[in-house]
Amino acid sequence: MRQRPPTLLLGLAIIAVLVSLAPLSYLVIRLGEFGIDKVIANVFRERSLELLANSVLLALAVAVSAVVVGGFQAWLTTRSSLRGRALFAVLAALPLAMPSYVTAYAFTALFTGFRGFAAAWLVLTIGTAPYVYLAVSAALMRADSATEEVARSLGAGRWRVFKEVTWPSVRPAAVSGAMLSALYTLSDFGAVSILSFDTFTRAIYSAYRSSFDRSGAASLAAILVVLTIALLLIEPALRGKSVVTDSRTRKYSEIQLGWFAPVAVMLASAWVIVSLVLPAYSLVRWNQTGLSQVDLGEVSRALINSVGYAAGGGFMAVVFGLAVSVLAIRYRSTLTSALERSIWITHAVPGIVVALSLVFLSNRVLPEIYQTSTLVLVAYLILFLPNAIAAMQTPISQTPRELDEIAASLGASRLQTLRRVIIPIAGPGILAGGALVSLAVLKELPATLLLRETGIETLATRLWSETSVSAYAAAAPYALLLVVVAGIPAWLLNRQVQAGSRVQSGIDQRIERE
Amino acid sequence: MFNRALKIFAAAVITLIAATSLAGCARESTTTGDQTITIYSGRSEDLIAPLLEQFTAETGIGVEVRYSDSASLAAQILEEGSNVQADVFFSQDAGALGAISEAGAFKKLDDDTTGLVDSKYRAVDGTWIGVSGRSRVLSYNPDLLAAADLPKSIFDLADSKFKGKIGIAPTNASFQSSVTAMRILAGESATAKWLTAMKTNAVLFEKNSQILEAVESGQVSAGLINHYYWYERAAEVGEDKMISKMAWFEAGDVGNLINVAGVGVLSDKPEAKTFAKWLLGSTAQNFFVNKTAEYSLTGLAARDGLPALDQIAAPNIDLSALSTLAQTLELIRNARLTD
Repeated sequence: MRQRPPTLLLGLAIIAVLVSLAPLSYLVIRLGEFGIDKVIANVFRERSLELLANSVLLALAVAVSAVVVGGFQAWLTTRSSLRGRALFAVLAALPLAMPSYVTAYAFTALFTGFRGFAAAWLVLTIGTAPYVYLAVSAALMRADSATEEVARSLGAGRWRVFKEVTWPSVRPAAVSGAMLSALYTLSDFGAVSILSFDTFTRAIYSAYRSSFDRSGAASLAAILVVLTIALLLIEPALRGKSVVTDSRTRKYSEIQLGWFAPVAVMLASAWVIVSLVLPAYSLVRWNQTGLSQVDLGEVSRALINSVGYAAGGGFMAVVFGLAVSVLAIRYRSTLTSALERSIWITHAVPGIVVALSLVFLSNRVLPEIYQTSTLVLVAYLILFLPNAIAAMQTPISQTPRELDEIAASLGASRLQTLRRVIIPIAGPGILAGGALVSLAVLKELPATLLLRETGIETLATRLWSETSVSAYAAAAPYALLLVVVAGIPAWLLNRQVQAGSRVQSGIDQRIERE
Repeated sequence: MFNRALKIFAAAVITLIAATSLAGCARESTTTGDQTITIYSGRSEDLIAPLLEQFTAETGIGVEVRYSDSASLAAQILEEGSNVQADVFFSQDAGALGAISEAGAFKKLDDDTTGLVDSKYRAVDGTWIGVSGRSRVLSYNPDLLAAADLPKSIFDLADSKFKGKIGIAPTNASFQSSVTAMRILAGESATAKWLTAMKTNAVLFEKNSQILEAVESGQVSAGLINHYYWYERAAEVGEDKMISKMAWFEAGDVGNLINVAGVGVLSDKPEAKTFAKWLLGSTAQNFFVNKTAEYSLTGLAARDGLPALDQIAAPNIDLSALSTLAQTLELIRNARLTD
């Protein structure tokens, strides 16, 4: 039964798409100014192509390693009989709380000569593996392990079961996590610049920094957009066919690891040390070596502002993300899929370009919102809506369609169905999407720096200004506080993923009774 | 239909307003006087905020400050177009001021303000003034490089004996300004040759402070930085713990370039011009010498341990020419030191 999408949702989704594509209009204006011949000359320089190769290589490497690390953690914590896996589950999501520029700083402070491709690869993998971990855990929890048992009982080896039963069911989640990781890497500036690895985004920043060359920077940013579109086009092929599992027959059996258990514990612990213990140790050490002083009033104001922006950003992401996701899943059509895909197009555009485009556009179209929190939130929406949508889609598609039909047969309107059926059931997952955006907002720097109200400082901007005068001791409390505050949504996210299965099986039982 | 579109739009706006109300605005209470000026500051809050407090205390003029890096702020001012929010742009270096000046966004300063500064340290057309000076220096680790072996000219760093031993920050504005000076004074081909040699000899960093750290830790023997970074680090770890020392090249060498931090005025508010002039007064000039370890541009004595400004045999160059950055960047790029 195909229904016409509710106008409200469609309207909200269209607004979200228009907003997220706004930076493109700015790029077009700047490129038009520059002239096509100069754009081509700028882009097809040998150096640009080399940087592009660097960026693509790093993005692919990070995507693959994030899938390996995050996927392994997800499998270990949801399927194995590993002792202490609940602890590992929390620790796997926690690196999300650490901005990658902080991780990069922390590592360079510990090891001299920590720089270049391998360094950037490690730091960005630490930052992005949790995205894959969360997505794959959610998928593993809803995949039916009974199929695996049947396969085992029919004599399939462990590897074959994984390849032919488990992998297909988590593949879409793994690919979408990989996509997020790749785009995150493409747009990252902080980590690669600290670690001295030349990427495309770094070139964009230095075009602004050193030559005030806005058109040159825009032409490079346009290339990132083209690259993103290419990734978006190949993504469906990578995802494969989504495997339909009967969500009602859910039974978990733990895989006995046997001889592999100690190895698994060692691998998982090693990753915890690299991704959490070392950076945290380095931060604490900063705190103790320096002489610079911390102003407590300053810290608390920054904290309040950070939390406020995070809450506002998360709220916006929930409203618009829900509209886009519900449309794309429940009212799938060419139009709604196109809307959902369009949100991703600007996801690899670096924060500074998004921010400058909003400076440009708001001053010409709506000067009233320039340098207000409103515009900051608009920037967050552009930068992070895809993260929210990626997180919401699984739980929304998990909500049994039969319930929609029952609701409709009882005379509920489509919006009532959404409010009384989909939102309550997919609630934790929707909140998880919001939490993910709140996290990203807490860590965001370039757009906040450019667009915030004059006089407003956040944890991230204070951290930036302290480290820019090498006052590491004064910077450390901001870094630590940022990690602690961001740890809350990271922890919540993880809890929701873990709890999602319980909610789900509760619903299944209810459906069965009816 | 129209009605419906209006409702949806209203829903979006309500969402935005609700979200905005969540985004708190805890701000430092500024001592606003009757008049307030907005400053875009490329200089960091830690260094400059106390100075601005003194400005308000002395003049009764309140300030609203937006801190970021100079280049981003310059880009922001240019993108704001005709709706510029800043009354004053306080920049970390002359290059960003030159870019705004070139776009015609600055108002001309009064002669009794520009007259306070040596013509070497301000715009020829009176659109901006330098307010404090910083010198390029060679920071070196005496354990790895004896004072007797110090290079006499910045060009000596091209010697193969320095292979892998010199720290530079090719994307950093202060390095780029010094290369611009080199290009203007020594010519393109000599500069290109030097940069190519640095590709081999230098270890690349993003910031001056990272170079200094590398010199301190012995990762490199020496590095090209601005002089005050030494004092910043000394304030952080204690002066007695500093291992590195500073050296200048011989008289007139382009490696001794003196650049300035300066201001330009963007609005017609008289208080903005008052601020520019105040920065050249004794309170501010003393502050620059004692707190940020920079050079006074109105003749106050330099910090202990630093040679006087007129004794640093700096190269003779018009700082306005430092805004001709594009050719410099091309050279740096061609030497494959940056993107």
